[in-house]
Amino acid sequence: MSVTAPAAALNRTTEGGPGSLPAALEVQAVSVHLGGKTVLSDISFEVKPGEFLGILGPNGAGKTTLFRVLLQLIKPQQGQVRMNGGRTLGKAVIGYVPQSRQIDPELPMRARDFVCLGLPHPLRPWLNRADKEAVRRALELTDASHLADQSIGRLSGGERQRIFLAQALVRDPKILLLDEPTSNLDPGAQEAMAEVVHSICRTRGISVLLISHDVNLINRYADRILYLTPGQYAIGTVEEIMQASVLRKLYGSAVDVIRLDGKLFVTTSSQPDSKVCFH
Amino acid sequence: MLQYDFMQHAFEAGTIVAVMCGVIGVFVIARHLSFIAHTFSHIGFSGASFAVLVGWNPIGGLLLFSTLSAFAIGGFGVKIFRREVTISVVLSFFLGLGLLFISLSAKKATAMYALLFGSVVGISLQNVLDIVYLSAGVIAVLLFFYKPLKFDSFDPAGAQAARLPVRLLSIGFLVLLAIAVSEAILIVGALLVFTLMTAPAAAARHLTHSVGRMVLISVLFGVLGVWGGLALSYYTNAPVSFFITSLEAVFYFGALGWDWLRDRRKPQEERTTEGSAA
Repeated sequence: MSVTAPAAALNRTTEGGPGSLPAALEVQAVSVHLGGKTVLSDISFEVKPGEFLGILGPNGAGKTTLFRVLLQLIKPQQGQVRMNGGRTLGKAVIGYVPQSRQIDPELPMRARDFVCLGLPHPLRPWLNRADKEAVRRALELTDASHLADQSIGRLSGGERQRIFLAQALVRDPKILLLDEPTSNLDPGAQEAMAEVVHSICRTRGISVLLISHDVNLINRYADRILYLTPGQYAIGTVEEIMQASVLRKLYGSAVDVIRLDGKLFVTTSSQPDSKVCFH
Repeated sequence: MLQYDFMQHAFEAGTIVAVMCGVIGVFVIARHLSFIAHTFSHIGFSGASFAVLVGWNPIGGLLLFSTLSAFAIGGFGVKIFRREVTISVVLSFFLGLGLLFISLSAKKATAMYALLFGSVVGISLQNVLDIVYLSAGVIAVLLFFYKPLKFDSFDPAGAQAARLPVRLLSIGFLVLLAIAVSEAILIVGALLVFTLMTAPAAAARHLTHSVGRMVLISVLFGVLGVWGGLALSYYTNAPVSFFITSLEAVFYFGALGWDWLRDRRKPQEERTTEGSAA
């Protein structure tokens, strides 16, 4: 069920900004049940071309499941997902950077070859001129050109994350799904990663959906946020959603939002074991 | 030595199998399937013993048992079968089954010895032709699907994110592996399949940073091992498989040592890269 965020402000974000363009992504009344459990219930939202949507919420709220629905890895029991105004493009339309990725430190591959894996043609093993250009551009966009000839196993966490992003970008996607790309990174690398994603979103007009637990990071870069809790959700700007009243409805328990030095903190006075995601 | 037909056959069959194992071994290592390959070899052994018992060509029994188990393992999911406990149970069961079939047949000792430790020198022209066709088929399929296989083997999470048909790739690869193992058994024997399947690729991994070059080096090590083994065995009368396993071990530890030396020689450069990475 949707929690109603202040409607006037919500309309402003959907009508203003990227405005009259058709939505890059439309999710209409999607419900997903997995193993007898309702993971997503009746979720609807739109993402405009070039919009940056941050996705917040506690573990188990269905954030990754939502991504799997968008990728058509899971078929929702109800509702539908439309992309690019209903025109179904090829698989290349979505770029996805999954959350956990094991990389063998002895993996015999340079970063450039690792990015090449993401090229959209399924079988041709050699590269033509357009491929080389796409790889060069993807590395440039993610600020990783200087890493191209290094062995992927020897890169640091932040550098690897940028190479993963480049691998998703080399398919020239219209929508980019990022599942906690900043977890396991130190604060400086988190900021750098978010900055890179934000600039890609702005300069290339790619819609970005980014899952994170860091509300302040999202606050700085995202146009809107989608806040998921088990069975509930709300979508709107950070100011609209990060209110005690909205979060109370989402969690169904007392939650307070504290603003300190322009930063947001979420706390709860009672029930320390409740599943509130503290930001 | 090449004036003898049996040596020619051994070289022909050994070379093509070494090339095939060199190529597939790179993916076996990347997919962590070494011990599944070893399990296939034991399943193949029982299949071959069964073939000996009922009077078929051993290749038929090998292929039947190992490809059936490839579909079974693929169907249940590779993860269950990568567990060492599952592997130890399946592997010993099929080795025991092979023992039973062999003991029921008339020509126990020679057949058992050949299947467990290889009999490349006793290979017939018909077998050589079977092996060449099968290996060429496996190599062709591997090269055709090289790109998606490389993606799925070296970056499984990325391949799934890019929506490759990962399940199909996994089952297809297991079937190719089953065929490849069956042929390797005819050359080096069921107990020594590792030596062609993983050793050359494992050595190659330490010498290059590119998957394409890793395949080439792995093929080279495989072929050199088989040629060297056949030649040394011809002049010394010691078993071929002994020399192949020894040579592959030399290649592997040589590559490890080379890698270690190279890392030590340029510690300065390493330190600066790691410094900028941190």
